[in-house]
Amino acid sequence: MSDQAVSSPAPRILAIPGVSVALIGLSLLFAVASPGFLTSGNLSNVLVQSVILLLLALPMTLIIMTEGLDLSMGAVLTLASLVLALIVVSTQSLALALLGALGVGLVFGLVNGWLIAGLSIPPFVATLGTLGAAQGLALVVSDGQSVVGIPRFVRLIYSGETFGIPTPILIGAGFYALFHILLYHTRFGTYVCALGGNRDALTLAGVAWKRLLVAVYMLGGAMAGVAALLMTARINAGHPTAAIGMEFDAIAAVALGGTSFEKGNGWLLGTLLGVLTVGVLRNGLNLMAVPSSVQVACIGALVIAALLIDSLRSTRP
Amino acid sequence: MNAMTATRPRLDAPPPPRPAEGKPLLELKGICKTFPGVKALDDVSFAVWPGEVHMLLGENGAGKSSLMKVLCGAYQADAGEYLHKGETVEIRNPADARKLGIAVIFQEFSLVPYLDVAQNIFLGREFPSRIPGLIDRRRLYREARAVLDLIGLDIDPRTKVHTLGVAQQQMVEIGKALSQDARILVMDEPTAALSDRETERLFAVMRQLQAKGVAIVYISHRMAEVFALGDRITVLRDGKLVGRAQPDETTPDALVRMMVGRNVDMSYPRNFTEQPGEIALEVKGLSAKNGIRDIDLTVRAGEIVGLCGLVGSGRSEVARAVFGADEITAGEVRVFGKPKRGGPDASVLADIGLIPESRKTEGLALIRTVGDNLAVAGLPKLFPDKLFSPGRARRAAEDLIARLRIATPSSNQSVGLLSGGNQQKVVIGKWLAAGTRLFIFDEPTRGIDVGAKSEIFALIDQLVAEGAAVLMISSEQAEIVHVCDRAYVMRGKRIVGELSRAELSEENIVRMGMHDE
Amino acid sequence: MSTASDAPVRAPGFHVSREVQQLAYRLLAVALLCAALSFAAEAFFTANNILNVLRQASLLFFLASGLTLVILTGGLDLSVGANIGLSACFAATAIKATGSPALGTLAGLATGLVIGICNGLMVAKLRIPSFIATYGMLWVLHGITYYYMAGETIHGFPPGFRQIGSGYFLGVPIPVYLMLAFLLAGTAFAQRTIWGQQIYAIGANPVAARLTGIPVDRRLILVYAISGAMAGVASIVFLARLNSAEGDIGEAMTLPAIAAALIGGASLFGGIGSVFGTFIGALILTLVLNGMNLLEVNANWQPLVTGLIVVLAVWLDMAGRRRG
Repeated sequence: MSDQAVSSPAPRILAIPGVSVALIGLSLLFAVASPGFLTSGNLSNVLVQSVILLLLALPMTLIIMTEGLDLSMGAVLTLASLVLALIVVSTQSLALALLGALGVGLVFGLVNGWLIAGLSIPPFVATLGTLGAAQGLALVVSDGQSVVGIPRFVRLIYSGETFGIPTPILIGAGFYALFHILLYHTRFGTYVCALGGNRDALTLAGVAWKRLLVAVYMLGGAMAGVAALLMTARINAGHPTAAIGMEFDAIAAVALGGTSFEKGNGWLLGTLLGVLTVGVLRNGLNLMAVPSSVQVACIGALVIAALLIDSLRSTRP
Repeated sequence: MNAMTATRPRLDAPPPPRPAEGKPLLELKGICKTFPGVKALDDVSFAVWPGEVHMLLGENGAGKSSLMKVLCGAYQADAGEYLHKGETVEIRNPADARKLGIAVIFQEFSLVPYLDVAQNIFLGREFPSRIPGLIDRRRLYREARAVLDLIGLDIDPRTKVHTLGVAQQQMVEIGKALSQDARILVMDEPTAALSDRETERLFAVMRQLQAKGVAIVYISHRMAEVFALGDRITVLRDGKLVGRAQPDETTPDALVRMMVGRNVDMSYPRNFTEQPGEIALEVKGLSAKNGIRDIDLTVRAGEIVGLCGLVGSGRSEVARAVFGADEITAGEVRVFGKPKRGGPDASVLADIGLIPESRKTEGLALIRTVGDNLAVAGLPKLFPDKLFSPGRARRAAEDLIARLRIATPSSNQSVGLLSGGNQQKVVIGKWLAAGTRLFIFDEPTRGIDVGAKSEIFALIDQLVAEGAAVLMISSEQAEIVHVCDRAYVMRGKRIVGELSRAELSEENIVRMGMHDE
Repeated sequence: MSTASDAPVRAPGFHVSREVQQLAYRLLAVALLCAALSFAAEAFFTANNILNVLRQASLLFFLASGLTLVILTGGLDLSVGANIGLSACFAATAIKATGSPALGTLAGLATGLVIGICNGLMVAKLRIPSFIATYGMLWVLHGITYYYMAGETIHGFPPGFRQIGSGYFLGVPIPVYLMLAFLLAGTAFAQRTIWGQQIYAIGANPVAARLTGIPVDRRLILVYAISGAMAGVASIVFLARLNSAEGDIGEAMTLPAIAAALIGGASLFGGIGSVFGTFIGALILTLVLNGMNLLEVNANWQPLVTGLIVVLAVWLDMAGRRRG
């Protein structure tokens, strides 16, 4: 029998430079290439625009830590924002609209969780299916049209300020803090790590992990609902294809941040840095008038580069 | 029969309290557990007294792991009763087992790699802080520190478990069990992956526990440990309890007889070669990424050359490096005179075959048929025009099945359904179909019942009689001594000596293979 | 353990292997669907509709057949839909620029192939999990296609070229002949070449396959290359049929292609499946979607139904595995 090698200590120390280097590197690049980048107005813009992604990337970190994936987040966000828009336009009630959006998110999260934890269907297949479902429903509900006439108080959530700071940043910071506490200071967080690292350990410890796994996906759905509020506020409409593909950005941000797809190795701060990196990339490319489709291509290339570096760094058997 | 540990000094622990009177700590009566098609446990009765080391012996598939799982509540027994200190109890789930003080340490640890030591120790039993929903982390680390001090493990409780070595992880598991007030500790082959020094530390901890009245159920294949440590021995076979013994009243042979059910013939018929043929394998100065350094060895056609040493000495690594499964950093491999570079595909073209240690995960495709598995390595040779003919493949498979006497209803049988010995024959057959002339065996009889072992060795004998060359790794010194023409001994990822036929004995192997401390 | 003293004896009786049984069930499903649809919708059993179904199925089959090989190795190619997009756009540009359908076809096939090879390199050499690598590739391709097309449409191709997609021969649409040709070729490749056997071995146990001397990296690149090339084929037929190329062409085809393969019995865990099974899967899926169209179900439900079918197929596969 061959020796058990002692794994290299704290590989995350190697990851810190990775995503920070990317962030700083890209920032410098854009600062040089684009005069408008380094202004306080623009940087504030980057932060605000990154919040929606952050709201998705935070639960995505947990989901990926459980060795799962949620490809349906973008579609669920879109559907939730449509539902929210429809409700707020017809009832003028923000509370009801938010409830509707959260409801959509939670239902899809529940379905995902049931498919994955209950029926043991591989996560990317299950969420591919719910992605199709959410997309289809979004088209059915909206009949392909945008929902307009969003009341001003919704718009203010995105464009307004509270205590002198743009509201979205406060919302983002608040949820980041919430997730930090959840992941590092509660049993839930510990179990999320165990779900990816060694599920049998949880069974032997008498923990009902299937319910936890469902909860993780429901959390993802709920956050998609919250993000839907910001999204609707931001584009001032409910649009049937608004956030399609955003889960890719979220997965990219999490992967860039060093969370690996196996064994429960997760890092929340890394996700934040990854979100900022994606945000900087998009912002910089926007300033350079690069079309959105190419931006996505760049993000894809960035993620592949990150994964490549990661695979070169780790010793593969 | 690992002779090397028999030469270690006997543990001079004070004899544990003899279970003369009083109720056993835990008693199982008539436990049955059936799975579809298999009776894993058949009316097993078993008792454990405080402070004793109770050895559990049995071949693979005898029911040891089922018994462990029943004890810890992972399985529910179909019939039978449990008595704790004389009172009837139920063990329906892991929580019940824990309440009774039962803790099981499996060979695959139940540790979460990216959580730290403290989180692992208290998984599921975290301390709530005053703020509802949160964990009291200061208390977590304080309590973990206390547990680690108890077993003498000097590491920071904030260390992530994946950075620890196997021995330390095992200690963490033991700490976890102790922190749950375990009164019965079940350990499955705990020394399998440990070095000598780590094994000594484990035994020291065990002695400490015994002194406190903790009972230890110890599963082992190593006779030396059984006799050095055990107070009582229970032997399982085919799910049944077939024997109980005490170490000072029995012998290893008697135990093996109980495990196997018949007299074991340990002499494998071997026609030792008078004149070995050409040099089949020549390795010079080989170093590889897996840690081996400066390996020189030779194997000639017609001979079986052994590669022995303690666990961790690097034998499998040599096999993998020679076969190209692991990357070489220095040195040269020559096969039948020609230099060989590259990965397994180059090796197969050079007529080398590797029969790996874990045949189920590395040697076979379990969901495919016997015929598929037999043909897969020989595809380029059997079908040089690249066109596959199922008929021809089937005929070739049936030839091999007959020649190797593989017990299977047809070549269409799923290979996963075969017994261990027959699966091993399929692995060997696959290389025969590929025209292999140099066979590298890594633990050829692991997980194979004693009856089938001699068949495998007869097969290997036949191979070399027909002109093949064999390099054989084995942890069973007796096997090496009985079967090999020569042997190399490894220690610390290097070769430290060579033993000729005349010099080949278990003592010599052990002497060369041990660290001089 | 017991030893067999004689050569293996086959029990008397009619032996049908498990694979053949599974295919038989699926053929039955096709027959039942046809029967049900004939009752439910009078427009179903017309020559026009049947030929349409076959033509739709062929488009699906081109994509799904290459994808089957990838799935056999335990991987997944999520980029095939986007692959069609870029390949079709390049092919369209080439036809317009040179006036030669042959060059255009070559351009489309070559693009598909190159994309496939890139996927293969990422999976085999960079060891990126296939669904991540091809998912990233999907977005990269989208980006390039949209940028390249800049919102425009290319249309109006020479009639000779259009025959590939819209033409008939002996009353049957030409794509159907292509489908049968690829069905034959694909089955021959998977079942009657040693590469095919090696691909099944890789899917069943990649570690053991490598230790058996199979050049796993090379074979992986091969299957992704074939998947890409088949996307190229699909793009040409698509182009010929639609007579126009836009940025989002083929986008919606990935999920149905995966569904077709899974319905056909391919297992996402690798080692199980067949090209013929995928052919039947493509038929089944097309019949279901065709039925939905005839029954005037809102087209927006189609992705949902396809997604549900995928989930169901995987669940059945896993249930079967647990039993077996």
